[in-house]
Amino acid sequence: MIMEKLFQKIIKAHWPLLIGTLILSAVFFWFMLQNSEMETDLDEYMPQDHPAFIYSDEAEEWFGIKDGIIVAIENPDGIYNAETLDTLKQLTRTLQKMDEIRKADVTSLYTADNITGTELGLDVKEFYKQVPSSPEALNRLKQHVETNEMAHGRLVSTDGRVAIIIAEIEDDVFTQEFYERILSTTAQYETDKINIHVAGRPIVEGTMALLGPKDMKKMVPIVLLVIVIVLYFMLRSIKSTLLTMSVVFFSVLWAFGLMAVLNIPIYAVTTMMPVMLIAIGVADGIHLYSHLQLFLRKNLMASKKEATLEMLRKMWKPVAMTSVTTSVGFISLLTSEVLPIKYFGVFTAFGVMAAMFFSLVIIPAGIMIFGLPKIKKQKTYKKDTTHKLADVFAMKVIRNKSWSMIITAIIIVLSVTGMQKIWINSSFLEKFEKDSDIVRTDKFINEHFGGTTTLNLVLDAGSENADVFKEPGVLRLVEKMQKHVEDSLQIVGNSFSLVDYVNRMNKVMNADKEEFNRVPGSKDMVAQYLLLYEMSGDPENLNRVVDYNYSKMNVTYQLKSDNSKAINATLGIIDDYANDFKKKGIEINYAGSGYKGLVFTDLILEGQIKSLILSLLIVVILLSIMFKKIKIGLIGAVPITITALISFGVMGFLNIPLNTTTALLSSIAIGIGIDYAVHFIEQYRVNARITGDKLLTAQKTMNHSGRAITYNAIVVIAGFMVLLFSVFPPNRELGALVSLNMFTSFAGTLTIMLVLLNKSNAYIKNIKEKIK
Amino acid sequence: MLISLLVLSGAFQNANTQSLTGKEIIDKTYNRPTGEDQESDLKMTLINSAGDTRIREIKQFTKDMGEVEKSIMFFISPADVRNTSFMNWSYDDDRADDQWIYLPALNKVKRISSDSKSDYFMGSDFTYDDLGDRKLEEDTHELLREENINGKACYVVQSIPVDKDYMYAKTITWLEKETFIGVKKEFYDEDGDLLKILSIKEYNNIDGFDIITFSEMKNIQKDHRTEMKLSKIKINTGVSDLKFSERMMTRGL
Repeated sequence: MIMEKLFQKIIKAHWPLLIGTLILSAVFFWFMLQNSEMETDLDEYMPQDHPAFIYSDEAEEWFGIKDGIIVAIENPDGIYNAETLDTLKQLTRTLQKMDEIRKADVTSLYTADNITGTELGLDVKEFYKQVPSSPEALNRLKQHVETNEMAHGRLVSTDGRVAIIIAEIEDDVFTQEFYERILSTTAQYETDKINIHVAGRPIVEGTMALLGPKDMKKMVPIVLLVIVIVLYFMLRSIKSTLLTMSVVFFSVLWAFGLMAVLNIPIYAVTTMMPVMLIAIGVADGIHLYSHLQLFLRKNLMASKKEATLEMLRKMWKPVAMTSVTTSVGFISLLTSEVLPIKYFGVFTAFGVMAAMFFSLVIIPAGIMIFGLPKIKKQKTYKKDTTHKLADVFAMKVIRNKSWSMIITAIIIVLSVTGMQKIWINSSFLEKFEKDSDIVRTDKFINEHFGGTTTLNLVLDAGSENADVFKEPGVLRLVEKMQKHVEDSLQIVGNSFSLVDYVNRMNKVMNADKEEFNRVPGSKDMVAQYLLLYEMSGDPENLNRVVDYNYSKMNVTYQLKSDNSKAINATLGIIDDYANDFKKKGIEINYAGSGYKGLVFTDLILEGQIKSLILSLLIVVILLSIMFKKIKIGLIGAVPITITALISFGVMGFLNIPLNTTTALLSSIAIGIGIDYAVHFIEQYRVNARITGDKLLTAQKTMNHSGRAITYNAIVVIAGFMVLLFSVFPPNRELGALVSLNMFTSFAGTLTIMLVLLNKSNAYIKNIKEKIK
Repeated sequence: MLISLLVLSGAFQNANTQSLTGKEIIDKTYNRPTGEDQESDLKMTLINSAGDTRIREIKQFTKDMGEVEKSIMFFISPADVRNTSFMNWSYDDDRADDQWIYLPALNKVKRISSDSKSDYFMGSDFTYDDLGDRKLEEDTHELLREENINGKACYVVQSIPVDKDYMYAKTITWLEKETFIGVKKEFYDEDGDLLKILSIKEYNNIDGFDIITFSEMKNIQKDHRTEMKLSKIKINTGVSDLKFSERMMTRGL
C-alpha cells in the first residue's frame, strides 16, 4: 500500500524531514524579513474595476476631492484675540510647509477670502494676514466672520470658541510617523488657554490600519501562551504540546513566508490569518495525540515506531480530509471581489495544507526523535472519569434525541430572528473605544462644526451638456435638496455646493441684503456672478464644486458620523430627488472615501455570503465523496450551518454590526466546524464497523473524537478569550466570536450531529436497537 | 491694463547696456514708451490639470494718461457673460487701483475694492501684479548672471519685495539684452517654493513697439495654466479719455 510505504519512509527519514522543514522555514523567514510590508492605504483594498470606484476616483480627480485632516484650535475665551489668531496663522503655515501637504490644500480663516458687499460695491479682502491686535480690529474681524456664512460655522464655530484648519492629503501619504509629527507639531502650540485637537478621516483610517495589526502583534503571543498552557493540561506532555504548537508556528510562518516570496503586502485582513491557523492548526495535533494516548493505554508495551505508525495509519485520513475541506472552504473566498480577501483565502488555505503536512510529518518525526509522551499511571483514575463522562454523555444524547432536535430547532429560529436585526457598518470611528482620544476629538469637532465625515454627491449632466449648472432651475433644485437633507437629518451638519457661491455673490452684489441670499433669476446672471467670483476670489474654490464646462457638480455633505446608517439615511433622501434630476438630464452619483467605504463593506459582505454558500456546497459534496454517502455530507454540514447561524444571530441580538472583520468569521465557522464533523464521523464509521451497535459506537466515538474535540475547543476558546482584553474593540469582538464559534461547533458536533448520525442509520442499520 | 502687461517687455533702446545694475535693467523694462493708447482682442485660455479648457474673449482698451493708466475691457464670449465689463485705473503713486465691474444681468456698475494685488486676473493664473502693476521701488533688484535663452543673451535678475508679507518671496526674470523683453519669469511663493513660471512665446513689432502677443503662465503647484493671445492690436489710435467711464461700461460692445 502506498500510504504504508510513505509512513515507513516518514518514520525512517525523521531527521532529514525535520532539518528540511527548518531550512525551508528559515528561507521563508528570511523572505519575511526582506519583503513583508504593511499596506495601510485603504484604497489599495478596493477593487479598482468596480464601477462605483471608477466613478468615484474620476470624480475625486475632477473636483480634487480628498480627505482632510482637521486641526481644531480651541480657546474657551473665544478665538478673537491676538494669541489665538497668531496660533491659527502659524499652524496654517506650518501645515502648508509639510512635504505631505500641498500648500493650496490647506484651508483656514487665515487663507480664506472675505467677499462682502455694500450699496456701491464689492469688497474683496482677506480675513487677516497680519494678526490684528487692537480691540477695534479684532471686533471687526469677528463681525466679518459672523456675517459670512462661508466662514461662520465652517471655519470658525458659531460660538466663536473654535477655529479649524483643514489640510487635505492624498490617500497614500498617511504614515504613523506623519501622524506623530502632526501631533507633536500641533502640541507645541498648546498653552494654558489654547487647546488643539486633531481629527479627520485620514487620521481615523490611518490609526485603524495601524492599531489593529499592532494590537494583534501584542495579543497573539499571549494567545499562544495561553493555548500552550491549556494544551499542556490537556495533553499532559510538554513534548506533545510543543510539537503541536510547532505545527501551528510553522504553518503560520510558511503562509506569511510564501506571501513575502510572492511580494504580496500584509493587509489588515491578513492579520486574521494567524488567528485562523491557530484555531485550525492545533486540532490535528490534538486528534493525533488523543489517538496515540488511547492506543498506548491499551498497548502499554508498544514501541515508539509501532505507536507512531498506528497513529499515522488510523489518523491520516481524517487529518487529510479535514485539511482539504477546510482549505477548499478558504479557497472559496476567491469569489470575493476584494483582492486582500482573495489573498487571505488562498494563503490561509496554503497554511492549512502546510499544517496538515507538518501534523503528518513533524509530529511523527518529533515522536521518533524525542520519544513517546509519557502516560502517567496516577492519572488513570482521571481517565476513568472522563471515560465515564463521555459514555454517559453519549448515552444521554442518544436517549434524548428529541431534546437535541428541539433545542436545535429553537436555536435556529432564534438565530434567524437575530439575523434580521443584523446591520452592516462601514464605520471606522466606531471601531475605536468610546473614550479614546480619536473618538472624543471627533465628537468635539462634530459638536462645533458640520461634521468630520464628508459625503460627496456628484451631479452629472454629461460632458456634452455644458452650462447645465448655470441654470437657475437646476440650482434651485440642488438648493432644495441640500436644505431638505440638512433639515431632516440631525446627523447632517451642513452641505456645500456651487449654490452657496452663487447665493453669496447674489447677496454681496445686492448690498449684503439677506433676501438676496438665493439663486438669481437668470442663467446669465449666474454666469456673470461666477465670473465675478473667479475675478475676485480664489478661482480654485470653484473648481472644487463645479467642473470646467459646468456639466458636473459636486455637492459636499458634512456628517457627524461615518456610521453606515447615517450615510444610508442621507443617500435615501438624496435618492428621492433622482427622478427630478433625471427629468433635467442629470444623473446622481457619489464619490469620496465615506461612500467608497460603504460600497466596499457591501462588497465584502456580498463576497462573504457568496463564498459561505459556495463553501457549504463544496463541503457537502466533498464529505459526500469522502464518506461515499450524500446523507453523510448533509449531516456533516449541520454543525457548520448551525455555527454560522448562531454567529450571525448573536451578532444581531447583541447589535454587533457586520464589518470587514466580523464578516470573515463565517470562514472560521466552516474551517473549524468541518474539522470536528469529519473527525467525529470518521471515528463513528470505524467504530460502527467494529461494534455494529449504535450506543456503543456513539460512546466509543465520544471517548475518542469527542474527547479530542472537547480538548480542541477548550484550548482554542481559552486562547481566544485572551483577545477580550485587547485594547482594540474589533479584536475583542473577534475573540468573543471565535470563541463562540468554537463552542457552537463543538456542541453541535457532539449533540445534534450525533443524533442525526444515529437517526439516519448511517453505517448501522436499526436492527440492533430493535433487539434491545 | 494691457500697457501694464507690456511693461514686462522692454522697448527698443539704444542705451548703453554695459554694466547695468539689476535695478537699472528692471527700470528700463518698466519705463519704456509703449504708446499712448492701445486697443486689442485678448483671447484667454484657461487649462486645468485634466486638460479641460475655458476660453474667454475680451475686447480691451488702455490709455496712459500720465499719472494714471486706465483700462476697460468687455467680454465678447462666452455668450452668457457677453458685455460684462471691467474697468481699472492704476496710479503711478502709492494709491491702490480703482476697479469697477458691470454685470449686464444685474444692470449695475459696482466698485470693487480689494486690499490685495494678489487677486487673479479674470480667474486666470495671472495676478494683476503679474501683469505689470508693479512699481520699481517695491522690490530690490539684483543682477544674478547673464545667460542665453532660446539663443538670445539675457540678463537674469532677481527681485525681492520690500514688503515681507507680499505673496511672492522673490521673482527671477530673464530679460533679453537686446529688447529688454522679459521672456521668462519665475515666481516663488512666500515659503520660497517655485509657484509659477511665465513664458513669452511670441512677440511682434507693431507700429514700432515690441508687443508680446502670446504668453503662458503656468502654476506649478496647482498644475494649471493660462495662455493669453493678443490680436487686432492697434496702437496710438487716439482712444478718447471718455471711453474710461462707468457710463461706457454699461454701453457694451
